[in-house]
Amino acid sequence: MSPARTDSFKSADELPPDVREALAATLLCLADNKRILGMRYGDWIMGAPTLEAGIACSAMAQDEWGHGRILYATLKDFGFDAGKLEHEREADEYRNSELLDAPVQTWPELLALNLLFDAALSVQVEALTDSRYEPILFKTRKLLEEERFHFEHGRGWAMRLGDTGAGRKALEAAFRKAVGPCLRWFGRPDSGFGRQLVDAGVVNADADELRRRWRERITPVFAEAGLEIPESGEAVALEWEDWDADRRRAAGGALDEVTLARIRGDKNRSMLMD
Amino acid sequence: MGHLSGERLYEIFARQKREDRLEHIGTVSAPNPELARVYAWKTYDEATWFEMVVAPRDAFRSVNRDEVPFTLHPAEGV
Repeated sequence: MSPARTDSFKSADELPPDVREALAATLLCLADNKRILGMRYGDWIMGAPTLEAGIACSAMAQDEWGHGRILYATLKDFGFDAGKLEHEREADEYRNSELLDAPVQTWPELLALNLLFDAALSVQVEALTDSRYEPILFKTRKLLEEERFHFEHGRGWAMRLGDTGAGRKALEAAFRKAVGPCLRWFGRPDSGFGRQLVDAGVVNADADELRRRWRERITPVFAEAGLEIPESGEAVALEWEDWDADRRRAAGGALDEVTLARIRGDKNRSMLMD
Repeated sequence: MGHLSGERLYEIFARQKREDRLEHIGTVSAPNPELARVYAWKTYDEATWFEMVVAPRDAFRSVNRDEVPFTLHPAEGV
């Protein structure tokens, strides 16, 4: 963990209003994506190709739920009610990636979430490790330690499937669909998105730099596994016509009803306690 | 659940404190060392390990017996 800085913001109240709003949005986006990603991992505990992979999915699900919990709790400092955030929102209020809207149908699609999207979330969290917003510093280390193994899991499976023609083809198809949403997730270039966070020393990189870091992490795995993913190239222009900057996702879509009920815990509502 | 083709068994050793000896704590099946590390860490998470290492079972050589290492159960009175 980086030592706390002498020019730190000790609480959200000390942040300039535009920085406060942008940081809360970033943390909520991370929390929502981690919460739902955890559910997608959990869905594969019994369906993974091997017992060990099922156990790994169970562990990664628990990790993501824990990270979500930590991040929702952090939002209390910004005046949010963590219970309401977790249990009382509608589908279009969640800031989850379009990649998480519906259950994952195939193992390669889960690996796309595991290797590509989970890494995007980690790149964003890493950009907070030397933040001037001090309360977040104490949260990021455990989270990133656990994420190292999520990345290794995705990498190990990419290499495993890359060993066979059929596996490589299935993985390429799943990855090529997921790369665009992952690259876009960091925000639109030249839109000033996240700029106030960088200027305030709260996040250490803008959208383009975060995208560069993500590519730097992911493209060596494509090479190791022998995967051709042209969509990951820097020369490929990203589409922004349907971009919802507030929710950091494709506009118009949202979680499906089944996912929403599960993520909010609707069936267990009577058991909720303060 | 069965093993996929191309998988190997990996033996896991760990210790909780620096002054402890490494102990054999279990086995995982994995297609490569990268996944063996992840599976070992996530499967045997009952303790806060100071150190954990994995090695493929077939890397071990028996010194005093003819049997393949790690195939005899302690209860069998090795």
